[in-house]
Amino acid sequence: MRLTRAQRHLLKEGTVGQRKAMEILLAVGRLADAPRLVPITSAHVSGASYKMIGDPGLEFLEDFAQSARVSVPTTVNPLGTDLAQWQELGVPATFAEKQGRIARAYEAMGVRPTYSCTPYLLGVRPAFGEHIAWAESSAVCFANSVLGARTNREGGPAALAAAIVGATPEYGLHTEGGREPTVIVTVRAKPRGIDYSLIGLVAGERVGDGLPFFRGFRGTEQDLKWLGAALASSGACGMFHLEGVTPEARRARVKGLKSITISRDDLVSAKRAHSDGTEADLIGLGSPQLSTEELQAIARLIDRTPPRIPVWIFTSRLVREANPEAVGIVERHGGRVLADTCLEVTLLEHRFGTVATPSGKGAYYLPSLCKQKVIFDDVETLLERYA
Amino acid sequence: MRIRARGIVPGRASGTAVISPAPFSFVGGVDPATGSIADAATGIAGERLQGRIFAFPTGKGSTVGSYVLYGLGKRVLGPAAIVNRRADAVVAVGATLAGIPMVDRVDVGGLRTGDRIVVDANRGAVELEDVKGKPVVTAILRNRGQILIVRRSEKVGTFQGRWSAISGHIEGREDPKHRALVEVREETGLRGIVFRSAADPVLARDGATMYLVHPFLFDAPSRRVHLDWENVEHRWIRPEELHRFATVPRLMDVVAGVLGPSA
Repeated sequence: MRLTRAQRHLLKEGTVGQRKAMEILLAVGRLADAPRLVPITSAHVSGASYKMIGDPGLEFLEDFAQSARVSVPTTVNPLGTDLAQWQELGVPATFAEKQGRIARAYEAMGVRPTYSCTPYLLGVRPAFGEHIAWAESSAVCFANSVLGARTNREGGPAALAAAIVGATPEYGLHTEGGREPTVIVTVRAKPRGIDYSLIGLVAGERVGDGLPFFRGFRGTEQDLKWLGAALASSGACGMFHLEGVTPEARRARVKGLKSITISRDDLVSAKRAHSDGTEADLIGLGSPQLSTEELQAIARLIDRTPPRIPVWIFTSRLVREANPEAVGIVERHGGRVLADTCLEVTLLEHRFGTVATPSGKGAYYLPSLCKQKVIFDDVETLLERYA
Repeated sequence: MRIRARGIVPGRASGTAVISPAPFSFVGGVDPATGSIADAATGIAGERLQGRIFAFPTGKGSTVGSYVLYGLGKRVLGPAAIVNRRADAVVAVGATLAGIPMVDRVDVGGLRTGDRIVVDANRGAVELEDVKGKPVVTAILRNRGQILIVRRSEKVGTFQGRWSAISGHIEGREDPKHRALVEVREETGLRGIVFRSAADPVLARDGATMYLVHPFLFDAPSRRVHLDWENVEHRWIRPEELHRFATVPRLMDVVAGVLGPSA
């Protein structure tokens, strides 16, 4: 790989953290036969929940934080619990203590303590064509598809290494060719609500690590957030195009591509396939974390149809603090608005057995990551059912 | 013998090999406190990684594997080097964090637990100190979806009586494909065969000898085979029938290499 003089300097004479970061980028670059490192404008790091990375991850991060500092604006994924409310959630003290240490290690490296899977809702909006290094599959899918920024599906340590060096190996979704679609997916259904999640789940299963070109429907930015999160869960997709909606769809080459169709029946059977629970202990909303608009809309729904089982709403600390009224409504009806964490990386298994959720990503991961049975349905339907 | 490899994490190390024939995850696959293999599917559960050359086809499973490998390295419980068929990012990043030299593009099916190995990731090579390498070609001839196998004569030097494809030793620096064409002509008399594909070398092990097999696929225009002295019998079979025959080592992998894994 061709390195700049500054990059060679980091590799030879940087701090321990800088040298390690360069070595990680070189190893990842060799795997992909990348010709060089491309400068990035932001990084987003995954691997912050103690539940997910455990003692091995904590040990690495604390060691690394002794000398590593990020050199571009860097945000970080949700933790394993809410740092302010963990006691009320029944989270063991050792878990919270180790979780706090992970957070402090990231902060010591200069990472912004966002603890969010939706940096694009928190003011980190890379411009069209900007190169970035993001981990967190749902944010990767959003940044590439909706914003037209350029990032591969980075692993946690590789994104951290890119944040330290300020560059990432140039291959895949950083290149023009890597952003061309590989399959046309025609949707023969007018989607609403969880249908966007369902389209993502079905398409991800069928296209694997391909790059789908969707046609046949439209959607708002918010709809595409749910679609992309589900697509990146059941498939290894880092990007999609949607005809007439996403910024790179117009110039995508679709001639001669294989074509598949998703029907209403496919969506109905996918919903059934991801619902194995009978009676929910909890309604979980998040995965990805909710935006201000989504939080306010949910609070209105809860006020109208208060549920008899707890509702946990996952959002960022920023959104929670900006919406004291909505938080007040949810709490008055026995629910919680949790920050710093998210549905499938948080500790649920110590209290619950079945979670009802409208999130396709949540429905996909809750069984394996949280040992939960799932009831997968629209939030309105769930609130009425558990009224 | 020396095997070419692709350097992933720089460095050089030597040690005795420990081989998992199955893909490996450092999460659950190894006890992080002792560095002993815990995954029974590897067939080497209980073996310690410390100071060994650890070879497995590819990584699998959770991304936390990178951190586990880091921890093993920090406690000096990790392997001295890692050899893969196809490196993945989780193991490559973990090896980098731990400072463990790593190479890939090596057919680990030819390595044996206990082999003395030198891994040189700087120069992209794996050296087997006690093994002698013999480069050979194997030509898979195809006609209407069936492939040609031949039974080796009692007069040949190795693998007498076993089923094989058309094969022969590479002499000196000659081009392997040229050698394959010569062998087909000598051993079958077939003319007008058409080259279709070549595959990465397969390492076929026979004790202290390692056959570095270069696989080739040709389409044969006819099935009229005239054997020479090296073989005594021939058959055209469907690739999936191969498992019923007592073959030379790894013929199945050679066939899969040129026809795809479904064969």
